[in-house]
Amino acid sequence: MVSVIEHHQHILDFTISSLLRRKGKNGALLLVYTLIVFILASLLFFTNALKREATLVLNEAPEIIVQRTLTGRYQTIPIAWGERIRKINGVMSVRPRLWGYQYDSVFQANYTLTVPAENPPESGSIDIGSGISRMRSAFPGDIIAFVGHDGLSRSFTIRNILDSESQLLTSDLILLSEDDYRDFAGIPLDQATDLTLRVRNPGEYITIAEKIVQMYPETRPILRSEIQRTYDAVFGWRSGLVMVIFSAAALAFFIFAWDKATGLSAEERREIGILKAVGWETSDIMMMKFWEGAVVSLTAFLAGTILAYIHVFFTSSALFAPVLKGWSTLYPAFRLTPFIDFAQVATLFFLIVVPYSVTTIIPSWRAATIDPDAVMR
Amino acid sequence: MISVRNISKIFNAGQPGEFTALQRITLNLQMHETTVLKGPSGSGKTTLLGLVGCMARPTTGRILLNGREITSLPERFLTDIRRSTFGFIFQQLNLIKGVSALENVMIPAYSTGEKFSLLRRRALEKLDMFDLGKRVDAKVECLSGGEAQRVAIARALINNPAIIIADEPTAHLDSKLSHEFIGIMKVLKAGGSTIILASHDPIVYDSDLADRVVEMRDGQIVSEEHCP
Repeated sequence: MVSVIEHHQHILDFTISSLLRRKGKNGALLLVYTLIVFILASLLFFTNALKREATLVLNEAPEIIVQRTLTGRYQTIPIAWGERIRKINGVMSVRPRLWGYQYDSVFQANYTLTVPAENPPESGSIDIGSGISRMRSAFPGDIIAFVGHDGLSRSFTIRNILDSESQLLTSDLILLSEDDYRDFAGIPLDQATDLTLRVRNPGEYITIAEKIVQMYPETRPILRSEIQRTYDAVFGWRSGLVMVIFSAAALAFFIFAWDKATGLSAEERREIGILKAVGWETSDIMMMKFWEGAVVSLTAFLAGTILAYIHVFFTSSALFAPVLKGWSTLYPAFRLTPFIDFAQVATLFFLIVVPYSVTTIIPSWRAATIDPDAVMR
Repeated sequence: MISVRNISKIFNAGQPGEFTALQRITLNLQMHETTVLKGPSGSGKTTLLGLVGCMARPTTGRILLNGREITSLPERFLTDIRRSTFGFIFQQLNLIKGVSALENVMIPAYSTGEKFSLLRRRALEKLDMFDLGKRVDAKVECLSGGEAQRVAIARALINNPAIIIADEPTAHLDSKLSHEFIGIMKVLKAGGSTIILASHDPIVYDSDLADRVVEMRDGQIVSEEHCP
């Protein structure tokens, strides 16, 4: 047993010394490999974190949202419509919501203003998200002013900084009382932004939505499942932008692996011949090449994954954000909550490390099976 | 004893480039003796050394090592015999560049799984034998021709082989270094090693190192001479 371990250790030592001997070539190889892992892992972390944020939001979302449109554009909805909708079989409750966006030209940021269903701030005070607090250096007790629909400034006292599991949900959020919001946004007392419905039986969602449209043709019911599908379409593996980046990285990886698979340099073949001639077995050569592939690919995998983690969760995906985070309400500063799906990391590992290790073995096996007397000729 | 019985070696058999390197060679090599295979380039010396040293198999015929037939053994057993029984000194030296003299010497023993400290100590002893104690950490490409040759000899000895095989060992050496090589071989011979050399250098086959000189030409043995 001890000799088996020593045997592996000798081969591994020699492998590492071989890798260090070819610093330039292996350094470049490691760099390219790390870059590919970095891109793929960044994509994985980014999309997963966004989807998780979305799921957290959707967990709290109502089953059906009813909006009113006029020539396809959004309008406020009369609260009275909710009374009739409530009478549709299967609808448990209807709640009018008040919310909207506010653009802050000074900080070039969008805020989301919402009247919460429970524990709203009293008139004159607000709760703000951590993103707004960070950006405006505003903390509980401070007075903060926003310009309302009529161009007049309104001051509020900060009651709380929202600290939620989901940054997506709270980063740019402002909670305020109904009276304050109506005054701020200019929404009449009989109107709401939209209506939210609670429906117990998922099998009835579509039927209820159809009945609402029949009742009020200018309404647009939005199902929670439709929102979920939209998120999946935007951030799922098979979505457009993600697929483009993934395909480019995968193509680079296959070109890279193919280059490795198609042969060894003359110097490497000569070395393999020498090792066989002096008494190494074919299995020793294979083991050496396996370790070589494993050392390179594991190092690249770990470095690429760690760099991707830093990129996504500490630099707010600086490289991807301009392309993928297109929704304006996500900035000014949006930091994803660190989240890793280990099953997907394992998938990445098996898709990247294993094929690479195998491709390094095939040409070595071909070289290792030649007669050792080749070095004598 | 190494008994070579009626062996032939054909490269690229059945293909346009077919070439017969050895034809029906029969030869007995005694242990603890030094045999020199002499002959011009292309006479089959290197091929015969390769077959005797378990580096390749003959196309026909058999080779027996101390009475054991080795030509039909699987690759793994041949490698084991090659590693434990033979030490090779190649014409081109075949040292691994970028690696220290010490590690080059240790490489053949890596497959044995021997404890590193013991292996290192033995490798240092071998290098000391050839006055290379101060050059152990030098990369082989930084060594002089003579030093590199001695490292190659030390490597051949690391597994304490019973038989040393050297292919054209003086081909790239000047006369002084060639004589130095002969001196080292004499020391090894006095220590009980069996030595088989292939050379067309008179310094080697005319030296008093050889117990027997086998002359080859066109893949056949043309003469065998026992030296006094």
